[in-house]
Amino acid sequence: MKRIKLLALISALMLVMAACTSDGDAGESTTTAAEGNGSGDGGGKLAAVREADVLVCGVNDGLPGFGVVDDAGEYNGFDVEFCRVIAAAILGDANKVEYKPLTADVRFTSLQSGDIDVLSRNTTWTATRDGQEGANFLFTTYYDGQGMMVPASTGFTTLEDLDGANICVLTGTTTELNLTAVFNARGITFNPVQFQDNAQLRPAYESGQCEAWTSDASQLGSWKFTLESEGGEDQLIMDEIFSKEPLGPVVADGDTEFAQAVNWALMATVQAWEFGLDSSNIESYSGTDPNILNFLGDAGFTPSIGLDPDFAVNVVTQVGNYEEIYSRFPELAPLEGSVNDLWSNGGLMYVPPYR
Amino acid sequence: MTTTQTNEVSRPPFWRDVRVIRVVGQIAAVIVVFFLLRYFYGNLTANLSRLGISTSFDFLSGPTNFQIPYHEEFNPRSPVWQLIAVGVKNTFLAGLFGILIATVVGLIVGISRLSENWLISKLATFYVELFRNIPPLVIIIFFGFAVFTFGPFPILSQSWELNFLGRDDVFLIVNNDRWGVPGLEQSGQLGAFLAILAVGLITAVFVWRRRTKGFDATGRPHHRVLWSLGTILIFLIAAYFITGQPFDMSWPALSENRRTIEGGFMINWGFMSLTVALGLYTASHVAEIIRGSILAVDGGQSEAANALALSGFQRYRFVVLPQSMRVAVPPTINQYLNLIKNTSLGTAVSYAEVTSLTVTSVGNGRPAFQSFIVLMGVYLVFSLTISLMLNIVNRRLQLVTR
Repeated sequence: MKRIKLLALISALMLVMAACTSDGDAGESTTTAAEGNGSGDGGGKLAAVREADVLVCGVNDGLPGFGVVDDAGEYNGFDVEFCRVIAAAILGDANKVEYKPLTADVRFTSLQSGDIDVLSRNTTWTATRDGQEGANFLFTTYYDGQGMMVPASTGFTTLEDLDGANICVLTGTTTELNLTAVFNARGITFNPVQFQDNAQLRPAYESGQCEAWTSDASQLGSWKFTLESEGGEDQLIMDEIFSKEPLGPVVADGDTEFAQAVNWALMATVQAWEFGLDSSNIESYSGTDPNILNFLGDAGFTPSIGLDPDFAVNVVTQVGNYEEIYSRFPELAPLEGSVNDLWSNGGLMYVPPYR
Repeated sequence: MTTTQTNEVSRPPFWRDVRVIRVVGQIAAVIVVFFLLRYFYGNLTANLSRLGISTSFDFLSGPTNFQIPYHEEFNPRSPVWQLIAVGVKNTFLAGLFGILIATVVGLIVGISRLSENWLISKLATFYVELFRNIPPLVIIIFFGFAVFTFGPFPILSQSWELNFLGRDDVFLIVNNDRWGVPGLEQSGQLGAFLAILAVGLITAVFVWRRRTKGFDATGRPHHRVLWSLGTILIFLIAAYFITGQPFDMSWPALSENRRTIEGGFMINWGFMSLTVALGLYTASHVAEIIRGSILAVDGGQSEAANALALSGFQRYRFVVLPQSMRVAVPPTINQYLNLIKNTSLGTAVSYAEVTSLTVTSVGNGRPAFQSFIVLMGVYLVFSLTISLMLNIVNRRLQLVTR
């Protein structure tokens, strides 16, 4: 009897509380929102990064050419270099980066929760990710497309040759969605063998369990390079590119100031390339081109993008211009004449003027 | 009159009254927990809305957009909840077969450890120490990659096709990706067949009861297992012919391009690696439970059984095992639950269980928070159902005090 009374009392109390709180709902959630932002008041992410004096960057740790841990235990790759570019621009030191290795399927959760400041992990810009995932895609650093790799000895040359075959693919990637869409549209059956990272995918492909490996052409190129240079079978990447994959760094939605600063830091590498400035000559520039002088931060030109006037000098001296960064990685496809060449050479690398 | 007065006087003030303190304490605890949860939930929704992420569960009816491994019949346009249903089915299958392997192997190894044969008991000890001391994920990857992918088996297009004593039909297709075994396929009135079979099962229960009653009354041997099984068998044969052979054997065959298996029943390498690895891993724990529970039965019980001139088998069947079961069942339930939860490691070998499908679907743009709420719900239901069923078994095994 006593127990029943107690229960009744508690449940009555809870009802009252529920009633009260649902009245005051609006007020309360706004206070929690302010608290949830944490560092959000005033400075936002940009101030928070400067405060911490380190940029937390989500990267790949298993993709040669884009992001990989080398023999010395250092992160290394095209995407990693852009983390360094951002750190050089915001903090003035390209080495003030803390790398967080992420798998494809947790990267957006990491970005949403604020675990990382920037995601630079061969990530394709899509509408869903821009919207539902709360991601803010910035300057595209690499224009890519999906391809298909098979051992050269099989003689397969078209997707139709793979009817019914096992195809190795990473989970949680646009590659996976694309594979399904393209094969369904053409009425080709297939069986996707999904893995969370390349460490498991590679043995399945090498053993012949998967007859083909699909991924971004750049990644396949880097794996072809790796497999062949380690004494494996000759590989063939099919001519057909069956998707658009614009890859670039990403920040979380809702902080335009930070996004703007990061974006201009990235674009500075292309701007420097266009101006013919690289890490060897940028500091000794003695010309009189006013655009270049503005770019170098001389004469106090500051467009209020949240970066120091001389950020571009830091970026180019410490990391390099786009061409220098790109050519550091032999795994990537040749730059000259590719879609990633400068617009004036017929490529897609085109940035808004810095003035 | 005087007594009630003294009662009122002897009662302490309410802030020191232990009855009041207890009630107030409980209420305070409820309030604190309630507001903590509210705070966390408010924080979450505020953060999600700041990022512009929806908190609704509508995504469950949106299209999946990707193909599930080894489920060619799955249409990628089907809604996400169907994807989750496929995952639940696969988790259930892996759990079921894993538990079967764990129980059978565990029982054998556990009893073998108590064997007086030196070799058998040492082998059993070696087995237990080996599997118990390696993390399940490592065992799964070992089976997936060392046994299948890089193991002794050929690739799919060069499968071994085993014939059954000169028959034309292939009995077993073996390779490093998916195995084909004979299956059944419906060819008649399966519903009627199952209905007759159900009647047979009920009859068998009645036969069992009758034989037990007869035994209790007269003491003649009941042979109730034989009688009941016989009843079921008779019904099975009768039903098969009455309904005009409701199913046929379906033999596995490689497709023309030798890339898929048609007919029969297909078992993929992810399933095999996961169930075998988890079954053998959990078996090492079950074996220890079995051994401990047998040792827990007092030695005097065996001596008493010997004194009654029971045979070795009878001693185990009627004296030792019924008592050791009481000790063994609760910890075994735990091991079964662990096995179910460990099936979530199947993602390492591309097995389409519910965790790996949910993670994939989150990676492809479904909201993480809601997806994982659904996932946790699935595991909760699984685990609670299993513990409920086994707790009923446990209660029936416990000593009945009269």
